[in-house]
Amino acid sequence: MAESTLKTPRGTKDFLPKDARHKRWIEETLLELFACWNYQEIVTPTMEYQSVVTAEGALGPGDNLYRFFEKEGELIALRPDATTPVARLVAARLKEEPKPIRLCYSANVFRYAEPHAGRRREFYQAGVELVGSSSYRADAETIALAVQALKAVGLKDFRIDIGHVDFYNGILEHGRLSNSERRRIRTALLKKDYVALGEFMADSNLAEADKKLLEMLPHLRGGKDILAEALKAVTNPISQKAVHDLQAIYELLGAFDVVQWVQIDLGMVKDIEYYTGMVLEAYTADMGFTIGTGGRYDNLISQFGYDCPATGFALGVERLMLAISRQNAWPETSDKKVLCTYYQDAARQGWLLSKTLRKHGFIVELDVVAREPCMDPTQVVDYARTMGHQWIVVPLASDAIKVWHGKMGWQTVDLQKLITILERGEWLG
Amino acid sequence: MDKNIPLTIAIPKGRLQKYTMTILEKGGIDCSALKAPSRRLIISVPGTKWRFLLSKPSDVPTYVEYGAADLGVVGKDTLLEGGKDVAELMDLKFGQCSLIVAVPEASGISDVKELDFNSRVATTFPFITTEYFNRHGIQAEVVKLNGSVELGPIVGLADAIVDITETGTTLLENGLIPIAEVARVSARLIANQVSYKVKHTSICQLMRRLQKALQTQNAGQEG
Repeated sequence: MAESTLKTPRGTKDFLPKDARHKRWIEETLLELFACWNYQEIVTPTMEYQSVVTAEGALGPGDNLYRFFEKEGELIALRPDATTPVARLVAARLKEEPKPIRLCYSANVFRYAEPHAGRRREFYQAGVELVGSSSYRADAETIALAVQALKAVGLKDFRIDIGHVDFYNGILEHGRLSNSERRRIRTALLKKDYVALGEFMADSNLAEADKKLLEMLPHLRGGKDILAEALKAVTNPISQKAVHDLQAIYELLGAFDVVQWVQIDLGMVKDIEYYTGMVLEAYTADMGFTIGTGGRYDNLISQFGYDCPATGFALGVERLMLAISRQNAWPETSDKKVLCTYYQDAARQGWLLSKTLRKHGFIVELDVVAREPCMDPTQVVDYARTMGHQWIVVPLASDAIKVWHGKMGWQTVDLQKLITILERGEWLG
Repeated sequence: MDKNIPLTIAIPKGRLQKYTMTILEKGGIDCSALKAPSRRLIISVPGTKWRFLLSKPSDVPTYVEYGAADLGVVGKDTLLEGGKDVAELMDLKFGQCSLIVAVPEASGISDVKELDFNSRVATTFPFITTEYFNRHGIQAEVVKLNGSVELGPIVGLADAIVDITETGTTLLENGLIPIAEVARVSARLIANQVSYKVKHTSICQLMRRLQKALQTQNAGQEG
């Protein structure tokens, strides 16, 4: 057998039952919460035409795509993010719908990059898009919802940083920088390469005031007072408007009772280029990488021929799994697993009993091991223990049921009593 | 999230360790625990929030990227080669050297453009080297070695090398001359992207102190 038949491709993973259960729990918890806020779930294809995911303003680096040709000759790509397909979907199918429209998803996305810290080639995201509103209220709503989402999955120690792309855009605009100079600054800020930023400023003829602002950028972090400080420092109208936007958002977050989870970070730059306004990043103290990302993208949907503002965020499901494990925040599972085994002539009773118990919410495994002619109780008990069953039930003739529990041994009861016992999790007195 | 949380600094063992300790002491961090002879790789400074992690230089960015260390000190060469996602906060100015392309003097080559399709280049920095030659449109074959790359040209493994040089002595002794500079290199203070947010106040405080130490040091050299 070739060695590769036992492996999964680089940057991908199998989810074994425990992990799959955790993943499903996170996704269900998030989608339920999103639904309560009137975000409706959508599903888009795993693959898109390449022209969709590389649309102007969509995800930057094209070399991170998984690409292949369709039989008809069209170039197809696996989606590298969930937002661009939503933008296509809105422009193609929801133009006529009344706005704003709230959408949510849980999806796998693909990046053909070298896997490293917290980054895989296939990963899962759950997120929301609030489409058709350019109001700061929409931004505040997505931030508040991100806070609720992180709380809903049980995280205690987390923060959401918010910034605004126009704050530094305004500074660059004001400095009349060329495109390549802008790219250098952007890259430096994105990677937090403050050495490169310093080198750039040393040999650029940027005005002193603008240099000072760029130098300040990494330090404009904190609460409300940072916004006031920033406002004092900038003179260009674009940056000023950005700060005013954030002030309005921040104030609303106060009213929404989530401000203690939120921090201003005016030096934040995102790797995705479609953001046009507020941007956000969620993280926990005990993990070296962010757990969520998002922001406003007012020009992305227009790339698909429909001019429509939007804002949203996505949380990384595997990163949440890791954060929840780190904080020991998984909910207790109280699953009661029951093994229902039966004598050959009582197959129907076995079937009916398991059906009844399942209806009552128990997890019932109908035994497939033939234990005839005489059922050896110790063998059944060993099997139940190995398989993690707390209970064994064996239907006997005349509606009686033999029941076993790890701590208390065997008893014979009727159906009514059995259900009570299982529900209480103990023998009746 | 900032108060009293421990801060871990990854210190590179070897060439840069002594300078790293000197600058950190100037920045107000007591490094005497590091100087005591010991085989321990993780050392806390009693009574402070600082903790040192001693690592192989090329592993420093990895510890920092994953957040196992909040901060680290590492040469720019290692950063360029590693491609890790870390914040590069400060140029610490020590460990200055050059990443150069060198060829045997006897080869008569004086320009990288003379290397071609058939040339082999030995290096411990395959990523930077490939990048550099691509940028110059040269299709040289890059051969990765783990050390003593000067040996490559002598025994006919390679036509050129890309390596770090401080004074050029080792090169000369092996009959090699530099023909191009790939990058200037010095030690950098790096930080984990999230630590930089979470422990911002403490990190900025350290940076200010280091900045001041560097300035006095400069003034001292000039004066």
